[in-house]
Amino acid sequence: MITVNINGKEIKLEKAVTVLEAARSAGIKIPTLCWHEQLEKYGGCRLCLVEVEKMPRLQTACTLMVTDGMAVRTETEAIADVRRGILEFLLINHPLDCPYCDKAGECELQDLVEKYGPTTGRFKEKKRRVTENLQDPVIVRNMERCVMCTRCVRMCEGVQGASAIGVIDRGGHSHIEPFSGNRYNCEYCGNCVSVCPVGAIMSRLHRHSYRPWQVKENIETVCPYCAVGCTVIAQVRDDVIKRVVPRIGSPVNNGMLCSRGRFGYEFVGDPERLTSPMVRKNGVLEETTWEEAIGLVAKKLAEIKDRNGGDAIAGIASPRCTNEDNYVFQKFMRAVIGTNNIDSTARMGYAGAQAFIENIFGQGATGNIISGLSNSDTVLVAGGDPTTINPILGLQIRACSRKGGNVLTIGHVRGLRNFSPVELTPGGGRETALLERIVSELVSRKGLPGSNTILESRIKTVVDAAGAGKADVSEKDYPDFIGKLTASGTPAVVIGKDLLQSAGSGYKLFLLCAINYLINGRLYLLSDHANEQGMLDMGCAPDLLPGYRPVGYAEFRKRYENAWKTKISERPGLNIFEMIEAAGKGDLKAMYVMGENTVFNLPDGANVEASMRKLEFLVVQDLFLTETARLADVVLPALGWGEKDGTFTNMERRIQRVRKTVNRAGMEDWRIIAEISKNMSFGMNYAGSEAVFEEITKISPLHRDLTYDEIAAGNVIYPYKGEPLRGAVGEIPLNKPETASDGKITLGIDRVLFHSGTLSRKSPALVKMYSESVARMDPGTAGALSLKDGDMVRISSKSHSIELRLSVDGEVEPSVVLVPNIFEGKGALSLAGNILDPVLKAPAVCATEVTVESVGKVSS
Amino acid sequence: MDIKDIMFSQAAIKEIEEIRAKYPTARAALLPALYVAQREFGWLSPEAYEAVSEILGVPKAIARGVGTFYAMYKNRPMGRNVVQLCTNVSCMILGAERLVDFLKNKYGLEPGGTTPDNRFSLVIMECIGACGTAPAMLINDDFYENLTEKYIDEILEKYR
Repeated sequence: MITVNINGKEIKLEKAVTVLEAARSAGIKIPTLCWHEQLEKYGGCRLCLVEVEKMPRLQTACTLMVTDGMAVRTETEAIADVRRGILEFLLINHPLDCPYCDKAGECELQDLVEKYGPTTGRFKEKKRRVTENLQDPVIVRNMERCVMCTRCVRMCEGVQGASAIGVIDRGGHSHIEPFSGNRYNCEYCGNCVSVCPVGAIMSRLHRHSYRPWQVKENIETVCPYCAVGCTVIAQVRDDVIKRVVPRIGSPVNNGMLCSRGRFGYEFVGDPERLTSPMVRKNGVLEETTWEEAIGLVAKKLAEIKDRNGGDAIAGIASPRCTNEDNYVFQKFMRAVIGTNNIDSTARMGYAGAQAFIENIFGQGATGNIISGLSNSDTVLVAGGDPTTINPILGLQIRACSRKGGNVLTIGHVRGLRNFSPVELTPGGGRETALLERIVSELVSRKGLPGSNTILESRIKTVVDAAGAGKADVSEKDYPDFIGKLTASGTPAVVIGKDLLQSAGSGYKLFLLCAINYLINGRLYLLSDHANEQGMLDMGCAPDLLPGYRPVGYAEFRKRYENAWKTKISERPGLNIFEMIEAAGKGDLKAMYVMGENTVFNLPDGANVEASMRKLEFLVVQDLFLTETARLADVVLPALGWGEKDGTFTNMERRIQRVRKTVNRAGMEDWRIIAEISKNMSFGMNYAGSEAVFEEITKISPLHRDLTYDEIAAGNVIYPYKGEPLRGAVGEIPLNKPETASDGKITLGIDRVLFHSGTLSRKSPALVKMYSESVARMDPGTAGALSLKDGDMVRISSKSHSIELRLSVDGEVEPSVVLVPNIFEGKGALSLAGNILDPVLKAPAVCATEVTVESVGKVSS
Repeated sequence: MDIKDIMFSQAAIKEIEEIRAKYPTARAALLPALYVAQREFGWLSPEAYEAVSEILGVPKAIARGVGTFYAMYKNRPMGRNVVQLCTNVSCMILGAERLVDFLKNKYGLEPGGTTPDNRFSLVIMECIGACGTAPAMLINDDFYENLTEKYIDEILEKYR
């Protein structure tokens, strides 16, 4: 126990902390400027100087550790004098343009000067003049206002790990700059904006449009982009989201945000948002009333159900919609339409992979806590770049490296390149053999743990097979890689979607599960949609009811039948790919698509479009007139993120409240469906989203008894005890793929940090960061095809071709062309084939063979 | 092609890698590595920073921060030979300012400037520790002291 005396107050401390922290714990405020709770200590601004008995000079409270018996005074005339002097020095150069500066009202320097500062300055010469830098589309730098606290640099380097900005020049000339001096070209996380105490680094999105004190409401909600589920605070004025900021201490992101989360909110007020329902009349979509649109949907669906049966109708749910939306949607399909034909784009890898993993390890095997990653001693990353798919999770891996942990990657991971990764880059064709070798070597080095006999019998099959464990491991990092993996004590295995969408994905996933088992690791399955997990929890799958109860068992169905007061079909429905196929064949008559752009987000969009055109009746419910909505017979505009209440469940299975931030006319997705349901004589009467949630908590074994109040703090992670909900643990199917043929160029999906697709392309700030889809190829492969950086290229697969600009990039693996799936008409998935992995039932998008040819250079 | 291959000779890349091996961290090797880059190109262009940062694995913004902090790294193009003349107290008292005028009048060499034939650049620098033998200057890495106008004429002859 350490006892210190601060301003005459005895403070007892368990462990040594800084004088500043000790004072704060006792409610004594010491002024600071360079200190920030998220950052390393710096001791630069000298504002926290305090008097310590028996020490000759004033000491910086932020760096001085307390010792037993220390006596500190924080407010004396001598200290006040020094603080006044420091502030006078800062004001020599800091302009007094507060009336014009956006920071005024939340400026730390303003507050400090108001409290401690001199009322006049003695400096007679001119202030430093630096022109405001507006070269960057998102972040504006005003270096006149900079007080050189270096918080932004420490944030960028020490926490975000981007190291995009630095202190340039020396002394009075020093200033903060990105490398280029103008555009940032960085990760655009904007965390430098968060920590800047003055108006030196600010967002351009809300420039001069409001004052901090004019914010009527700070509404805490969850980011709409990826499955990390960061807490964000939306600051609203006049029903417009002015700014989105993080909150220090929030459970998932603790004061950090990524580019999408911070700058991607403008879609909420986009002028292209749909506001009125539309009905196709004489081949043209025309605006109409809600009564007519809902009446028509109800009539047509009832008609088709009567004529062709419920199984002639299918529904596609949305990983961007809330749990409430998805719950009501699947209930509508099952109870009103009478079919289990409900699925989603989670079938693109996440659903199958999660089911496979949980079949081996038990429910919740992929629901590990994200912040725990930084405390692992080893993180193995395979099949994708976590720092672009789930950026805040990526930060935890960077933090792990910074704390001395090992980062092992299979494939080059660009976002981790400065975090001393041990990389193996086998390339698509050799990945399977390499993973087999790792499994074999782990078995021989560590032996089998003996706790999962079914899994071990499968591992033995792999190890014993001829050829296994003989992969070429000439890479110089291999001994280091396998050594660190074997020696790891608290490992984590992070699996990305690229692996789940490659050839032989099921087998590769099995091998990763085997590795995870042999090293006793924790699994993380990356997911790029905010509520992909929650949507699956809600039973938006053809074979599973809410809470993962299999639809095939009468005993399970009974609970839901009793609650919904109707019968549920025992026959599992069609998955999303089977739906498209059935539509193409004419077996499926109608489809209801909620918040999904199937034409763009499923492989081979041309085929999806052709098949969906054959439907007798298509309803699309969305925010924008997407490629899919343009095919619809009825388009229903729903309220989107920021406009409605509900819940999202993140990849940790943390159930969090999503809140309405702005008022818009219209209905939530679930309310539209409930209205249609009423028109089909099935009463769904919910007072609001909370009432829907209440029904979920009565019916889903995973959500039992939860309330909105309980989950408000964001600390509810739904319970699991390793019990199998999906059915008994049984077979682990193994399906070893054929070895890939070499020499062919295959398609890869470029996961761009700044985009998610449909929502992000309607967010101007994100479009400014990345405005044109670019194909990327390594220099060797491009050179062999005589392609040069900046060439316009045509990329063609069996099904489709698109034209893009080429970027030659040494960080891409050979024989792969990376294409993002963001902008209309340029999506990577449009090229992809529809060959499904036999185990995961996910399409092997990344195995699509393509040709790349130049269509001439374009002058930019 | 990586930028380092475009910028550097293989020998220079090797030299930087050898420098790197002498230090416990990559950042510690930045100063000598930047000197190699400056020697190769005469100044530290954005591309040179990028290339050094790629070889060492140090973020380029950090490399540029270091290179702009120290006066002896040149962040703008220099002539073939860089004259660095001290005008600090001792040198000033012993006539350094006359020498500045001399360079301006005879060679057209302004402080901070470069001759039109790109033969010389002049940088006015702070003390180089030659107070006892002032005035003093550096040309590239060579040191000269007890300067007079005549002596400067002789010295500059050696640099083409």
